[in-house]
Amino acid sequence: MGWRGKSWLLGLLLELLVVGAHAQPARAQTATQAAGPFFLTLHLAGGTGVVALGGGYRLAQQRLEPELLLGYVPRRISGSKPLAIITLKATYLPWTPELGRSSWQASPVTLGAMVNYTTGQQFFLTNNSAGNYRPGYYWWSSAVRLGLLAGTRLSYAGPCRQPTAAYAELSTNDLHLVSALTNHSLRLVDILTLGGGFKQGF
Amino acid sequence: MLRGAGLVGVFGLLSACQLVEFSPNQAYVPAQERGLNGQALARLQTAPNPDDTVRFVFVGDTQRFYDETEEFVASVNQQRSIDFVLIGGDISDFGLTREFRWVHQRLRLLDAPYLTVIGNHDLVGNGRAVYREVYGPLNYTFRYQGTHFICLDTNGREYGFNQQVPDVQWLQQQLADTAGTRQTIVVGHVPPTDEDFDPLVVPRYTAALRDCAGLVFHLGAHIHRFTVGQPYHDGVTYLTTYSLQKKRYHILTVWGQRKFRLETVTYGVEG
Repeated sequence: MGWRGKSWLLGLLLELLVVGAHAQPARAQTATQAAGPFFLTLHLAGGTGVVALGGGYRLAQQRLEPELLLGYVPRRISGSKPLAIITLKATYLPWTPELGRSSWQASPVTLGAMVNYTTGQQFFLTNNSAGNYRPGYYWWSSAVRLGLLAGTRLSYAGPCRQPTAAYAELSTNDLHLVSALTNHSLRLVDILTLGGGFKQGF
Repeated sequence: MLRGAGLVGVFGLLSACQLVEFSPNQAYVPAQERGLNGQALARLQTAPNPDDTVRFVFVGDTQRFYDETEEFVASVNQQRSIDFVLIGGDISDFGLTREFRWVHQRLRLLDAPYLTVIGNHDLVGNGRAVYREVYGPLNYTFRYQGTHFICLDTNGREYGFNQQVPDVQWLQQQLADTAGTRQTIVVGHVPPTDEDFDPLVVPRYTAALRDCAGLVFHLGAHIHRFTVGQPYHDGVTYLTTYSLQKKRYHILTVWGQRKFRLETVTYGVEG
């Protein structure tokens, strides 16, 4: 896929995010109505650590899930000291139909965005804060990454049970995206990262 | 047991196609993509070369030029009797794992083995650990047909000009190790004439090169253009090569006693 295809997808993703943030339909509150607004997350891979733990708060009729995750990358994977990755992430669920009359719900498409910070002396917040370079020497932050996500989820909530959701998502980050947008030979799949996990409401 | 093996297999497959990544800065790559300089050297030493002539391609700065890298590979593969390809650093742009992998996915299609020296961009973020995992030691040497190649990290600015990089003591030891050496070539990404080379190390570095009787020249990249000269007026030739984006590269042929020929190849330029 060339850059035209990728920028089209990016545009769609951004548009859905913006439109979604403004839409506030009153439906889809039936099964999740009993659900508490808080949830805990166990997240695996996806560029935010081997494993990340955290939680968040459901907003906008359970359609928007901002959350904070603390991820861990052990020495064996980092090749240096273990890394901690602090991620602020928001997931939007545009459509969550119930599956028949069961306690199961599916969100065929979820969309999201994230920003994360990686700890470690080797990372700089900005080129200037590193102290070694003239302004503009490196234009990006090696510590902070911005990301976009698209995924899918399945959740279960019994009558006396808080919802449990399992999800999987594909993401990309700003620097991988810049690489793809400036090179025809990088395909969309080259810049995607798979992640997933569980969310437990309480 | 079988289930565990299956899981490892699935994981290996996913990480091989890059989809599973724990951090864009992780050093971890699949086993077959580790220690690539060592792998290339092993391949180089098995390739028979009957005479004392060494003919190699030298280019710098593949950083985020993936399309150009494909064209470069196609051009180099049309050249005859290339012993190896030497990439003069800045393999990656952001020091990210996947960048190194994208470059290798293209350069592994070279008919000749390729070797790298580390550049300043490769040291950004966790890049130092990534380079070490993917390519191997930051300072290394090899001998081929009696020519001793010394490749080292000269990116002093990335270490805050701590006077430790480049490691001149290590360089002197390698230069002194002349067993089986007819002549020597030193390769570093940042040339000592550049402001990104530790200014306090320049006198010791250039003196070490001056004292090496068998030195053919010093190779650098970083400044993205071809330069050749003797900037310290001490008989030592310093050469820098093009960045890959310039669609030009050099073929260097060295033989005899410090004899060399420099060819410039231009490719893929329209019109």
